[in-house]
Amino acid sequence: MGPAPAEPDRPKEAPPPVATSRCPHCGTAVEGDEDAFCCAGCEMAWSIIRGAGLERYYAEREAFAPRPEPLAGGWDALPVEPDEGGLCEIRLAVDGLRCASCVWVAENVLQRTLGVTEATISYATGRATLRWDPGRVRLGELAGRIAALGYRPRLLGEEVKPDRDLLLRLGVAAFAAANVMMYAAALYAGWFGGMEARFVALFQWMSLALATPVALWSAAPFFAGAWAGLRNGVLHMDVPIALAVLVLYVQGVGGTLVGAHTYLDSLTMLVALLLAGRVLESRGRRRAAEAAVTLAATLPATARRVRRGAVETVASSELAAGDRVVCGAGEELPADGVVVDGEGAVRLALLTGESAPVSVGQGERVWAGTLVVDGGLTVEVTEAAEETVIHRMAEELRAAADRGTRPSSTDRIAPWFTGATLAVAGGTFLAWLFVAGAEAALSATVAVLVVACPCALALSRPLAAAAGLGAAARRGLLFRSADALLELADIDLVALDKTGTVTAGALDVVGAGDTDLRIAAGLERYSLHPVAVAVVREAAARGIALPAAADVHEEPGVGISGVVDGRRWRIRSGGAGVIVLDGEGGHRGLIRLGDSVRPDSADAVRRLRGLGVDVALLTGDHPEAAARIAAGAGIDEVLARVGPEEKAAWVRERRDQGRRVLFAGDGLNDGPALAVADVGMAMRTGAASSILTADGVLVAGSLLPLSTGIHASRACLRAVRWNQGRSVVYNVLAVTAAAAGWVSPLVAAVLMPISSALVVWGASRVEAAVRRIEGRAAV
Amino acid sequence: MNSIFFLIPIAVGLAAVFLVLFLKAVKDGQFDDLDDPPKRILKDD
Repeated sequence: MGPAPAEPDRPKEAPPPVATSRCPHCGTAVEGDEDAFCCAGCEMAWSIIRGAGLERYYAEREAFAPRPEPLAGGWDALPVEPDEGGLCEIRLAVDGLRCASCVWVAENVLQRTLGVTEATISYATGRATLRWDPGRVRLGELAGRIAALGYRPRLLGEEVKPDRDLLLRLGVAAFAAANVMMYAAALYAGWFGGMEARFVALFQWMSLALATPVALWSAAPFFAGAWAGLRNGVLHMDVPIALAVLVLYVQGVGGTLVGAHTYLDSLTMLVALLLAGRVLESRGRRRAAEAAVTLAATLPATARRVRRGAVETVASSELAAGDRVVCGAGEELPADGVVVDGEGAVRLALLTGESAPVSVGQGERVWAGTLVVDGGLTVEVTEAAEETVIHRMAEELRAAADRGTRPSSTDRIAPWFTGATLAVAGGTFLAWLFVAGAEAALSATVAVLVVACPCALALSRPLAAAAGLGAAARRGLLFRSADALLELADIDLVALDKTGTVTAGALDVVGAGDTDLRIAAGLERYSLHPVAVAVVREAAARGIALPAAADVHEEPGVGISGVVDGRRWRIRSGGAGVIVLDGEGGHRGLIRLGDSVRPDSADAVRRLRGLGVDVALLTGDHPEAAARIAAGAGIDEVLARVGPEEKAAWVRERRDQGRRVLFAGDGLNDGPALAVADVGMAMRTGAASSILTADGVLVAGSLLPLSTGIHASRACLRAVRWNQGRSVVYNVLAVTAAAAGWVSPLVAAVLMPISSALVVWGASRVEAAVRRIEGRAAV
Repeated sequence: MNSIFFLIPIAVGLAAVFLVLFLKAVKDGQFDDLDDPPKRILKDD
């Protein structure tokens, strides 16, 4: 260390009128002293981190932390049962982790919380595993601590256990294949140079010994798949694979017994390669399945029930018709019902897709899962738990999601492939039976079945798909299946939902002057009200430093008042979507709230157009709001004020006209359209997203990955088609030769390695194609 | 050349030791998450 450097010169620009500094936690500009916090949340986060002795975080982090926002309740009512040791365990998704230091600080804060026995967070996947003693700490406190640091805990969707079974089978198959290939090389060499019979027998029996567990155990998933397919009357790809394994193994046993040539090296290689393809594919799919958020996350787990004048907290599932519940600003309604007291604004986005809050008063109907944006409501429950509209919609979607998957292109080829192979094998047997007798007929038939091995055909898709899924995942697109990725190549019409898809879906400031915004943000900086959060966020985005406010009073449901720059100001609601700023001495400012277009949506739409894809906007919102958003994103075709069913009908109509439609949306109301579209993409934003019926998820909160996904899909499809075409040509030639009786063990010795090499070469082509796209996209 | 009758089983036995180690590693969950541990070592505790 040298001597401490002298204080660097201040920039020569004109000094700002008031000294500004940055909030030490989230980096929002603040007027006033060094180290002034922008809000109470950041101060709290800072003191938690300091209290845990983790200040190093502030020196090491690569990005400012997100601004802490209050967390919806309900975590404590989750049904988490303690294990035998009396400890509870849960896996959560954590959003907002921006760098490795974020993970480190969140992990350590949790680990240093009393009652927590284990807390690990994965940086790669954003998954947290928590183990805690329910007698000493509640889950709600732990979730609250994560939220207090600025990160957002979410419930996970279906938990997909890593497929260890497939990997074990692959290990055994690869071990056998490596050894059997060596014996095969020796046997082929012996074919030319001559080899003593006892050595031939040694190599053959060793091959058989090693190939037996491969054929009987490693290949079992293919037999199970083929059997399941046959029972349902479907000839999918597992059928020719199972047939090939069976023929190769039976021929191998027979050949070893009589000392004839066997093809066990091909058998072990085939099984090992196919299992490797499956392992790669299942790893890609697991990510998508884990991104699914269950609907439980959209319904608050607890409710505040009024009984005999007192308020008690109960699980939402315990509510019954006739109960009264209270719900304040920032909370989600736990059940469907009628407002009996109070008034406020609620956001129905989850049900209708409309972003602007709607004012509700006494006697009006409200629905579970809607967010109370402003005011406070007492609601008499009419339908609770499983009877609620949101729950019924979710059930319908779940049923739709279970309705099965589309057959892949290889599955479509498989019946022809199997049929043709069997037909040629049958023809060969009959022809040779008449010409040269039973023995020659049998050997020619076996040769046909052996060389018709569908290795290249079966592998071309999983390998290409694994490469494609990986490339897509790196750019923020997760797919439930490889087929969905391949479907993307043919898309020529993209229909987008408005709220939460083209727009960010959050309550945002859409119209306000800088001066008004500065005053409002100063007053609201310590409030956790959703409107306040939106105002402060916008001020920070515009680079406005938050002024100091004195004598601030917040009256729930009415507004907030205080003194900024020596003048008294008052903020109150001015109807749905507008807040009014009144200043002492007659100033009046309006701040409009609404949903704003994601900054990169217009770019995303332009890129889709560049690929020859049309873009349309479908929304349940007012035509004016829809037109505003469409203009901002550069979309011409707009369909406004449409419900969930109408969206689905529109998509279906376009499909009937021969268009290939991708629908991207979030929220429950998009479910039917997501299910109907050729490819349905859900947005992973907030707890409200329901991607039960979607084929994939846009993780990044941006539409840009859609065009990259289409690029990747087209490259993948080209590679798959090329591979499939080549393997069909190869098989036609090889089968013809085998049927003619030309395939001696010597020819097989040449053909088999060539076939394997071509498969690997095909796979490397896919890798190269995907890299080319990555290179182009990076430019 | 008769030594091959011993050498082949010995070679297979050696390979089998590694196979068993691999199977144990899979069962221990060492292959469950291939993305996170490489990033984790960059952050000393």
